[in-house]
Amino acid sequence: MTSRIQIVAIVGSVAFLLLVLELVRRRRLAEEYSALWIVAALVLLFASLRRDMIDRTASWLGIYYGPTVLLLGLLVVVAAALLWMSVILTKQQGQIEHLIEETAILGAELRAERTRDRLPAVTADRSGR
Amino acid sequence: MSAPLRVLALIPAYNEARNLPAVVGRIRERCPGVAVLVVDDGSTDDTVPILEQLGVQWLRWPQRRGVGCAVRAGLRYGSRLGFDAVVRLDADGQHDAEDIERLLTPIRFGRADAVFGSRYAHDADAEPILLKRMLARLVSAVGRRQVTDATSGFWALGPRAVTLLATHHPRGYPEPELHLFLSHNRLSVEEVGVPVRERLSGQSSLTVLRLVAAAARVLLAMVIVPLRARVSP
Repeated sequence: MTSRIQIVAIVGSVAFLLLVLELVRRRRLAEEYSALWIVAALVLLFASLRRDMIDRTASWLGIYYGPTVLLLGLLVVVAAALLWMSVILTKQQGQIEHLIEETAILGAELRAERTRDRLPAVTADRSGR
Repeated sequence: MSAPLRVLALIPAYNEARNLPAVVGRIRERCPGVAVLVVDDGSTDDTVPILEQLGVQWLRWPQRRGVGCAVRAGLRYGSRLGFDAVVRLDADGQHDAEDIERLLTPIRFGRADAVFGSRYAHDADAEPILLKRMLARLVSAVGRRQVTDATSGFWALGPRAVTLLATHHPRGYPEPELHLFLSHNRLSVEEVGVPVRERLSGQSSLTVLRLVAAAARVLLAMVIVPLRARVSP
């Protein structure tokens, strides 16, 4: 028999999956970062459909209260997502730093070019008098 | 016979407008063949007009990013423009241009990839404080090479080290990690004694909070750097 919580969990999982897909469709979430959330939504949906799997996993882990497994799974997914975000943040920080340094070097080269351009012009002006 | 080196003096600076003219002037006086690059790490004082007056090459960004990033950008500039050696000096006048040649000599003769000016190498009067002594011992133990001054920001790098560190120079408060990096990547390093000097004017931008953060980073570096894959130019 399907309980109310199971229906809520199934609807919630499907809604979450659709939200992720919609964000990707609108280009608000890049494909490469959506994978983790799609997998999380699918796992959640699977767990909602197969309650017996949760109970069996709880029993295997020695957890007395079945739904705790879901919370544990959620915690693992959130921790993994945060860690992954930190990795992405670090990568982007490196890219931004690289860009800042390249821009600064280009600025220096531009100043040097302008100085070089200005010098012959001044010389020509003086020689023309 | 030593080959002539194209040398770049790299000066990372943060709010050192008052000291820069004297520091740059001293380099020009003592080492006229050395090109000068100042990396302005988002100063909020009159550093930019001073740099324009001085007529040196300079890099700048609008926000402060830390001395490690400033040095890395300077090394990237030096590497891009084909300098054979880069000498790093502080912008506060603690490092005297007179000592530059002593740093360059081992590089000139191919004895070292990197040479550090140590305030404590040969001067018995200049005793480091306990924390610095402990840090030097730790860096020596992890890097398996004797380091007497792990926080010295007065050093010279040869071409191999410049190429490597243009990409891999540590960020933040980088000197101890730089020692670990050089040892781990098997670059040859020497230390030469340099006298201790007071900054010309102003105050250090180091705060207690920054020091604590730096200490945490150094401790992490001691564990992580030896475990990293070695890099090659």
